Amino acid sequence: MKNEIPVTAFKCRKCGRIHYPYHDRCLACRNREFDQMRPEGNAKLLTYTAIFNLPWGFDQRFLIIGVAEFENGIKTMGQIKAESADQLKVGMTLKPTWEPIRMQYGEDVYGLKFEPVK
Amino acid sequence: MRDVAIVGAGMIPFGRRDEDTLMDMLAFASLKAMDDAGLGDKSVDAVYVGNMGGGMLQHQSAIASSLVDRLSLLPAAAETVENGPASGGSAVKNGLLAIASGYYDYVLVVGGEKMREVTGWRATDFVASMTHPQTEYPYGITLPGMAGMFTRLYMQKYGVTREHLLAVSLKNQEMGALNPYAHVEMTLDRGGIFDSPHAIVNNPVSADPLHLYDLCPVSDGAAALILCPLEVAKKMSRPPILIAGFGQATDTHTLQERDDPTDLKAVTLATQQAFERAKLKPSDIHVAELHDAFTILEIAESEHVGFFKKGEGGKAAAAGKTRLGGQIPINVSGGLKARGHPVGATGVAQMVDIVWQLRHELSKNRQVKNAQNGLTVNFGGFGNNVLAFVLKRVDQ
Repeated sequence: MKNEIPVTAFKCRKCGRIHYPYHDRCLACRNREFDQMRPEGNAKLLTYTAIFNLPWGFDQRFLIIGVAEFENGIKTMGQIKAESADQLKVGMTLKPTWEPIRMQYGEDVYGLKFEPVK
Repeated sequence: MRDVAIVGAGMIPFGRRDEDTLMDMLAFASLKAMDDAGLGDKSVDAVYVGNMGGGMLQHQSAIASSLVDRLSLLPAAAETVENGPASGGSAVKNGLLAIASGYYDYVLVVGGEKMREVTGWRATDFVASMTHPQTEYPYGITLPGMAGMFTRLYMQKYGVTREHLLAVSLKNQEMGALNPYAHVEMTLDRGGIFDSPHAIVNNPVSADPLHLYDLCPVSDGAAALILCPLEVAKKMSRPPILIAGFGQATDTHTLQERDDPTDLKAVTLATQQAFERAKLKPSDIHVAELHDAFTILEIAESEHVGFFKKGEGGKAAAAGKTRLGGQIPINVSGGLKARGHPVGATGVAQMVDIVWQLRHELSKNRQVKNAQNGLTVNFGGFGNNVLAFVLKRVDQ
């Protein structure tokens, strides 16, 4: 498990809108210059789902996925470490980690995994 | 710009069609539309094929080139149009603009998809390929998963309940059971899928809070239209169906970048454009085919197109206002929910169903009495590319 969250978001130098993923022009003001930023602190759960019909590449019974907003405003999707969606609530605090999220071609693919903060 | 009419409509039954190739299905639906238009041994000037997955699922490219050859429509111009689940609507748009501009007089538009020849998890992966390749897809998100997250927010903000979703599911399955072209010709029992002890077995959670019967099936199928200038269509024996208005709009690729993820802006903008061009308003529409890939979408779209205020769509469905005979009948065909959702075919199939409604050709138990104006909404991605069409019967 790695500690840093190697997600790069992009803050518009003109209007301050935060973008993730990258856009060549700001979604708000169409400016082309951005400052890079990394997620900071914990995240707030915005919405979530438990998926029981998984796509090719996932050999497990279900997967919980959500969208969360970091303390510095970056919004991202990530997997959530929970036994059931019943343990989750919109607005709850999540601790981010950077861990394997799937296997592809025999190798781990890393991504965001959130863990509910008790 | 010339007015454009639909003079031919055809569809093959949706479902699991193991015996047919993708090309078979496209050809069968095309011939039905050509015969319906009375083309006989004549040709068309151009062919637009809506298809999303031929390259991925059948390992076949240049599908339109193959189809014109198979149908002996050479040397007609031919293109395949790929726009995710809105491929069918986009193919119609291309045909519409080609005739409106004066470049072509007769156009065949056909949409088709063959999804059942791969396993369920491959089909789910294929559909998920329209999610963002770096920030969404790797996590295992699926389109039902996107809909699940959207539903949670919509329930929270607008008070939509599972009871409201159930009303859509029961209605569309009931109508699908009457539709000989539907994939799922089976009515559902409320107790069996909602409030009996067996309901959780029959109707398990698929993408929380959505259950199995909140989702459309994975289908094979094809549908086709013949378009021509309205002035030409008026000389034909049957009432032409005018494409009175068209609109298309896009939205951010990821849900998280929308200011309000419950706001389907592209649906609102596309339908506003279509209504403005048609010089009609939502209350002028007598029948609609909305893109109910998930029950929540029929409710949300019924609000975003202007049939109901925000937060009223679920209640309207539960009150029967969207049933045949109600205030605005929605998805009388059974919708994607029961007719099925062969992704590239859907946008065309919606219009075929509305054409049949406006021609008053359907059986009494499916026909909206004296329908004059219809609306279709074809929803690509998770609302990031939406097409709307207003169709109008022209009596001669």
